[in-house]
Amino acid sequence: MTQQVLVRHRSRTRASSAPAVRRVRARKGHAAAVLVAPYVLLLLVGGLIPTGYAVVKSLQNEAETGFGGLSSYQRVAGDFRFVETFANVALVLCVWMPLLLTAAVVLALLVDASPRRFGASMRFVYYLPGAFAGIANFMLWLFLLNPGQSPVDFLWHGFGYTSLNEVAQPGNLPFIIAAMLFFQGTGTWVVVLCGGLNGIPDELLEAAKMDGATAWGVVWSVKLPMIRPWLGYMTLLNLAYGFQLFLEPQVLGQVTHGLISPQWTPNQLSFTYAYQILDTPAAAAMSVILLLVTLGLGLLVVHRSRLFQDER
Amino acid sequence: MSRFRMAVALVTICLVAGSCKTAEGTGTAQDATDSGGRITVWVDPPRVPAVNAFQKAYPDIPVEVNTINGNVGSTELQQKFVLFNQAEKGWPDAIFFPSNDDIAWASSSKINYARDLSPDLGDILAGYPAGVIEQCKIEGQFRCLRNDAAPDVFWYDQVLLAEWGYEPPTTWEQYESLSLRIAAEHPGHITGFVGDAYAPDRYLWASGCPTNDTSSEKQVRINLADERCVRVRQLLDRLLAAGVLSSTGIFSPDAAELGRRLVMSPGAVWWGNFLFRDTWKVPAGRITAAKPLRWTSDLTPMTSSEGGGLWGFSRHIKGTQLENTLTFARFVASDPRWQVDLSVGLPGYKPLQKPWLAKQREARYLADFEHAAEAFVYATTIVRSDRDYTRYNTGTVWTHTITPALTSGKSFSTAWRTFSDRLTREARSFGYTVES
Repeated sequence: MTQQVLVRHRSRTRASSAPAVRRVRARKGHAAAVLVAPYVLLLLVGGLIPTGYAVVKSLQNEAETGFGGLSSYQRVAGDFRFVETFANVALVLCVWMPLLLTAAVVLALLVDASPRRFGASMRFVYYLPGAFAGIANFMLWLFLLNPGQSPVDFLWHGFGYTSLNEVAQPGNLPFIIAAMLFFQGTGTWVVVLCGGLNGIPDELLEAAKMDGATAWGVVWSVKLPMIRPWLGYMTLLNLAYGFQLFLEPQVLGQVTHGLISPQWTPNQLSFTYAYQILDTPAAAAMSVILLLVTLGLGLLVVHRSRLFQDER
Repeated sequence: MSRFRMAVALVTICLVAGSCKTAEGTGTAQDATDSGGRITVWVDPPRVPAVNAFQKAYPDIPVEVNTINGNVGSTELQQKFVLFNQAEKGWPDAIFFPSNDDIAWASSSKINYARDLSPDLGDILAGYPAGVIEQCKIEGQFRCLRNDAAPDVFWYDQVLLAEWGYEPPTTWEQYESLSLRIAAEHPGHITGFVGDAYAPDRYLWASGCPTNDTSSEKQVRINLADERCVRVRQLLDRLLAAGVLSSTGIFSPDAAELGRRLVMSPGAVWWGNFLFRDTWKVPAGRITAAKPLRWTSDLTPMTSSEGGGLWGFSRHIKGTQLENTLTFARFVASDPRWQVDLSVGLPGYKPLQKPWLAKQREARYLADFEHAAEAFVYATTIVRSDRDYTRYNTGTVWTHTITPALTSGKSFSTAWRTFSDRLTREARSFGYTVES
């Protein structure tokens, strides 16, 4: 009897628990959907729909009256400025990225190793130049670059430059833009990397020390490997940013009354196709090409830095 | 996959259907609207006084002013018009184009913004000398009004030349030899600027060098190997090598100091007030102008224009808004309260040229005023008609090829090759068929 009751009870429990679990799961699912919905919405509006639109637009013919196959891709790839714009961006990246990575890592390690209050104030000081928003930062740079007004005019005179046009000549542009990006962004990344360094468990560092690791050894064998995903993340975002350069060469071109080609970066070339040549499919094709290049490089970085390794 | 393809096809059809709009005629557009009176005008900073004067003269017409970037060769304006066309609203009713080449896109079949003015402003159009309004005549219709006539004349510092015992040149060959003498005998002084977007007009077109000679919306003649290009290239090369021409542009902040060491130079009529007097602060009674230089192999001198701003008016308006806009058009083109009292340039509208010159005479800035006034009026009659406004901007190509090359110490002939190469390719990228 008792056994029978028990069996009945068990079976009842089993029978009633299955829908309950499902209900809980469903509730959890709803909660997740609500949480994810704003992101999905933004992703659609700011990412997927424009990308889809660009892909579709890029497949139209030049007159935008019908399907044009890959002709718009041919037009932009055949443009005499196409390779040049990518070369310009590559030059900026070659100067800027190593500088950024080295400086951000070294400064973050120094902040991390400094006594608390001093480290925190230094972190704030490094962050300051990045607090100037885009155009304010740019205006500041105009003063820095103009030998007539610059506090670093000795530097320009050292190079033999006496006017803004001599400083901002196209050959110097990769260095100037790299410097602008460097001062604007490095501080923010020092803060991010400090966050990564703070996340390293103290036990791990103590264990390393007990095993006889020197300060340098701790940095090289513990700290750097531990912040590797952060470095990957930093490379990823900045590569994407670098390929989208537009504001700096565009405004510098205006300030110098046209000294810089209006098609200095891929984004500017795309802009020219959209708003001057009035060839929207070609502009869209340029954007898609830019997306593919950035995506390809991004995947490479993700793969090499094992950015999402933990999640796997 | 097939569903995805269908979706793509559907979206494509929607997009294609949405963008299938035919270009309309050039008078008032069919979708024209009426604000009931308020007009919106876009001007560069030097033209703001024109709007202020209009508001004073017509206080009953409400005007919204928008100040735009006035850099010659700037490329940001057209973008706004593309967006207005897409949104089918937002166009200004009247605009002063910062670059003359802007009229090429504003009247193109794709943007088609500027209205044909011949039906409404025939009397005003008739008041312009032919050479001054010629470039507003596009495919048989007048799509713009000339603000000021800006033909190049030959400017020189009369006091300095007399002091040094030189005669002002009348031909390009004399200009070259005198420049070389000045380079040798008075180093530090200069006889011209080549680093701005007007330099191709000042030198290349003055010689007749075809950098933008269109025969239709899609056909242009560019031939930098033409004899008329070669002669001016060689002249510039020799003068740059002697260091007597500055690779800076006239609008550059660095030009202010150089401007005071400028002994002579071809330059537009507006150089007198705008550059010598207001920007470079050269004292009164020194500068004067002579007739444009002539190449000895040419029978008569010919000249080109540096700007001489253009006004455009919207096709997208009707009723009172259109009436008020046309009142504004008449005012800026032909009213002495702007053109004579305030404008720094010689009015394009002929009946106002005499009063403007009379006012300049009173200002007593130029030396030997009668001589200069005669040169101004004469120059408006010899402007080259084959210099057309194009969708690509020759001046912009010049400033980002020649200017940086010279600034970084490269030779002019290398810079010229780059300019020549890029100019042709630039024209092609805008869909022009380039003939030589």
